[in-house]
Amino acid sequence: MSEEKIKSYAQAILSVASSEGDGTRVEDEIYRFAQVLQSSEELKATINDNSIPSARRQQIVEDLLEGQASQASVALISMLIAAGMASEIKAIADQVVGLGAESRDKAVAEVYSVVDLSEDQQARLAAALKTATGKDVEMKVIIDESVMGGLLVQIEDEVIDGTVRTRLKQLREAF
Amino acid sequence: MKKRLIFASALTGMLLMFGLAGNALAAGESLGKCSVDEYAERFGAAELTPENIAEEENINAIGEIFDSCIEAPSPIIPEINEVIWGGGAFVVLLALMLWKGFPAVQRIMNERSEKIASDLDEADKAKTEAQAVKSEYEAELADAKSAAAAILEEARQQAEVLRSDLQQRAESEIAEMKAQAASDIDAARERAMGDLQGEVAEIVVGAAERVVEANLDAEAQARLIENYINQVGSN
Repeated sequence: MSEEKIKSYAQAILSVASSEGDGTRVEDEIYRFAQVLQSSEELKATINDNSIPSARRQQIVEDLLEGQASQASVALISMLIAAGMASEIKAIADQVVGLGAESRDKAVAEVYSVVDLSEDQQARLAAALKTATGKDVEMKVIIDESVMGGLLVQIEDEVIDGTVRTRLKQLREAF
Repeated sequence: MKKRLIFASALTGMLLMFGLAGNALAAGESLGKCSVDEYAERFGAAELTPENIAEEENINAIGEIFDSCIEAPSPIIPEINEVIWGGGAFVVLLALMLWKGFPAVQRIMNERSEKIASDLDEADKAKTEAQAVKSEYEAELADAKSAAAAILEEARQQAEVLRSDLQQRAESEIAEMKAQAASDIDAARERAMGDLQGEVAEIVVGAAERVVEANLDAEAQARLIENYINQVGSN
């Protein structure tokens, strides 16, 4: 799939979300769905299985997100599956949050953590990252047990790793 | 040469002549005929008859005639006829000898001389050839000895080179094996140290992981997040 096509879908989603009123929420919900999809191999395989009729796969997603996301988000995700873009949902979601943040003159900061961050922690982390990188950021907290503890932040191509996993890895390599 | 032959022929003829003259009576004239001839020369037409032969005079005359006939001729001077026949025979014989005999003898002697000379030449030639063959053989023998010596020397040198080469190769292989063994030992030591280090690291890190996991409660997680925020903000 070409980058151009993915970007086109992302812009279309952003336009729809903006017209629905709460564009930021839609961005966030689509991004979170993409994260859930990445963490569940079974769900990803089902959504990507072309032998299952797209209507059936749409129904599965709609049932899964019922009451968990806005109707606009559910409709947009369902539309991607109907358009045969199920395998590109992660890339499209990344483009959506990236373009959305860019439209607000911000960068996306993917924060990997074992526990969720409080609003206060997110605000202080955003301020710290602005100090470190000079960029205003929008937090996307991703719960990842593999980091064991601490945080890993990725802003575009820059990674700031302060996880226990990496510390232990460095300890192992030091031997 | 020819003069000596002629002299020898003449001497031979004279000997023959005098030899033949000495035996003239025995060879040509009987005692009876000599007696008759002598009697006729002495008494002319008077003939001996049975009637007068017994007379003493006749008996004496016959006795003298017999004595004269029986008397040997001169041992030196031959009879004329003998000289004539002998000389003729000598001349004929000499002519035959000069005409046929001597040339034949001369030819035979020349042929013999030539044959002897040829034989001598052939003998010399054979001797020369034998000498040449001998020299050649000796040269070949010398060459063979020289070649054998060269071959022996070459073989000895080759054997020396081979021995040296084998020795060097063996020494090289031994050195290589020693180096390889040392390298293997070092590698094994390194590997063992690495394995040991890895195992130690695994044990230590595993223990650290277990300790960290056991102590990573919510409070610890919050403290780690705070530390992270503070560190990032201080950069």
